[in-house]
Amino acid sequence: MYRGKSILELRESLDNGNVTSEELFGSANKLAHYFQEDYNSFVTIIDKCKVKRSNSLISGIPYALKDNFSTTGILTTGSSNILKDYVPVYDATVYKKLKRAGGVLVGKTVLDELAMGGTGTTGHTGIVRNPWDKERQIGGSSAGSAASVALGIVPFSIGSDTGDSVRKPASFGGIVGFKPTYGLISRYGMFAFASSLDHVATLTRNVRDAAIVTDILKGQDPKDMVTLKDDGKKYVDTLDNDIKGRKLFYIKEICDLDLYKDSGDSELIEVLEKFHELLDKCREMGFVVEEVSVDKDLFNAIYPTYMCISCAEATSNNANLTGIQFGPRGEGNSIEEIMFDARTKGFSELIKRRFILGSYILQKENQEKLFLNACRVRHMIVDKITELFKEYDGMILPASGGIAPKFDEKDEKLSDRYLLLENHLAIGNFGGFPSITLPFAFVSDMPVGINITGGVKCDDIVLNMAERIEELTGYKDIYAKVGDIDV
Amino acid sequence: MIEKEKLRDYAHKLMFDMNDSEYETLQEEFDIILKQMNLIEKIPNISDVSPMTFPFPNNDVSLREDEIGDYLTVSEVLENAKHQVNDQVRVPKVVDEDV
Repeated sequence: MYRGKSILELRESLDNGNVTSEELFGSANKLAHYFQEDYNSFVTIIDKCKVKRSNSLISGIPYALKDNFSTTGILTTGSSNILKDYVPVYDATVYKKLKRAGGVLVGKTVLDELAMGGTGTTGHTGIVRNPWDKERQIGGSSAGSAASVALGIVPFSIGSDTGDSVRKPASFGGIVGFKPTYGLISRYGMFAFASSLDHVATLTRNVRDAAIVTDILKGQDPKDMVTLKDDGKKYVDTLDNDIKGRKLFYIKEICDLDLYKDSGDSELIEVLEKFHELLDKCREMGFVVEEVSVDKDLFNAIYPTYMCISCAEATSNNANLTGIQFGPRGEGNSIEEIMFDARTKGFSELIKRRFILGSYILQKENQEKLFLNACRVRHMIVDKITELFKEYDGMILPASGGIAPKFDEKDEKLSDRYLLLENHLAIGNFGGFPSITLPFAFVSDMPVGINITGGVKCDDIVLNMAERIEELTGYKDIYAKVGDIDV
Repeated sequence: MIEKEKLRDYAHKLMFDMNDSEYETLQEEFDIILKQMNLIEKIPNISDVSPMTFPFPNNDVSLREDEIGDYLTVSEVLENAKHQVNDQVRVPKVVDEDV
């Protein structure tokens, strides 16, 4: 009955007295348990309803939170064995704000271990499955947050996005993933992965709900020194603005059909064809859409640049995971032996590989050649995109070159498709640009997403353009109608 | 191919280890990673570009007043520590008795 409803639909039902927040929580809780065995969205499902009413739009409305946000008294694991029994003693600012606004937490969601991964397969409690097809990945790292929204359990969830960790799973799950400008939302209490790239981000089933939640979360926080002063805007109020004359560009080197016509990949071709059909509809609506060309060698370096910076920062950020102050204690006769044992047992193989890569990049002989040059490439890419944003309001690109991959599918990691089409979303993290993914088509019965990225602090414009494009796609408020349950 | 011992050294510097077969998997993965890293080296004339460490300059940052804010109590700090003694985290002795 309440499954798949948006924040505003639930708000109306609550305000009309047709349902209580306790009943909404009960419904979401039942759905969470019902789908847990098949899809594994949650590390922890909350069974006790705690409602603190306010006059906010989300008051009394259930939501889910990625398990890398600190929640007092509630297990918070980062989906890693090294934190499998960690119960925080303080609240992340995001959680505090949602509590104050009356949001009702339904559960903590599974992520790729410590948010380092893009498959949803590396959490310590098992893989997360795609609600549209159980044999496929939902993507990550905000895998459970995406799955819980795509299943219709909750109208919104919170994730974190360091390279594309909200916007890619949103694409694979047929939902909306919004990463605002860097510093718009406090990261205090969110486990750091790569601090210069980390963002808090939202997952919803429509653009308006993304604006509603972002309005609640944004604002300066003395506990996160990179947060921005509040811009005083209410994004939800500017969603209906006229977009006539708004200018969008797409990058030829990333999504030109001719680049892939001989690839033999029919799904990729179909994604690109539908993307260009959507661009035509955008033009009809009043957008100006133009093709721009960039230095392909520079943009081919997006993925290695992301890996260099993120892995290097991650080795430092995760140095506090020692098993001494918290986490399972290792064995040994000295502090060093205890830490060594705790980290050897606590981290999975995949995350260790990323740490070793970070260690390699930070070796004295590699710092200039790899780490600092990656930071220089980041600068060049951001400068190029910033220059384009002087002329254009936004960049529009397919969020991915295909549908959600099957669990055993392997990427060709040196191909143009992988380096460009599958990894360009990291541009949004390099420059801290506001960036949103929303569903725009179905290919082989699976959803695919479009991404719109805009200039720094132009979150209102990005959301406004996205909401108008959402009207064109016809894929607003969709969710995977699986399971035989009506609550 | 990168030597396994080098990889082991990098891991030990971060205070963990892997088993032999995991190092072998990583050796193979490194082949592709190094080719990807070469894409960075291919970009010409970047020595004049300054390394970017944050997305954009943030002028909203200022030093806070040196005032006592919220803080955790000792019992809260120790809540997740497995071994404790006298309100402190217990670890093996670090000072040699003969010194």
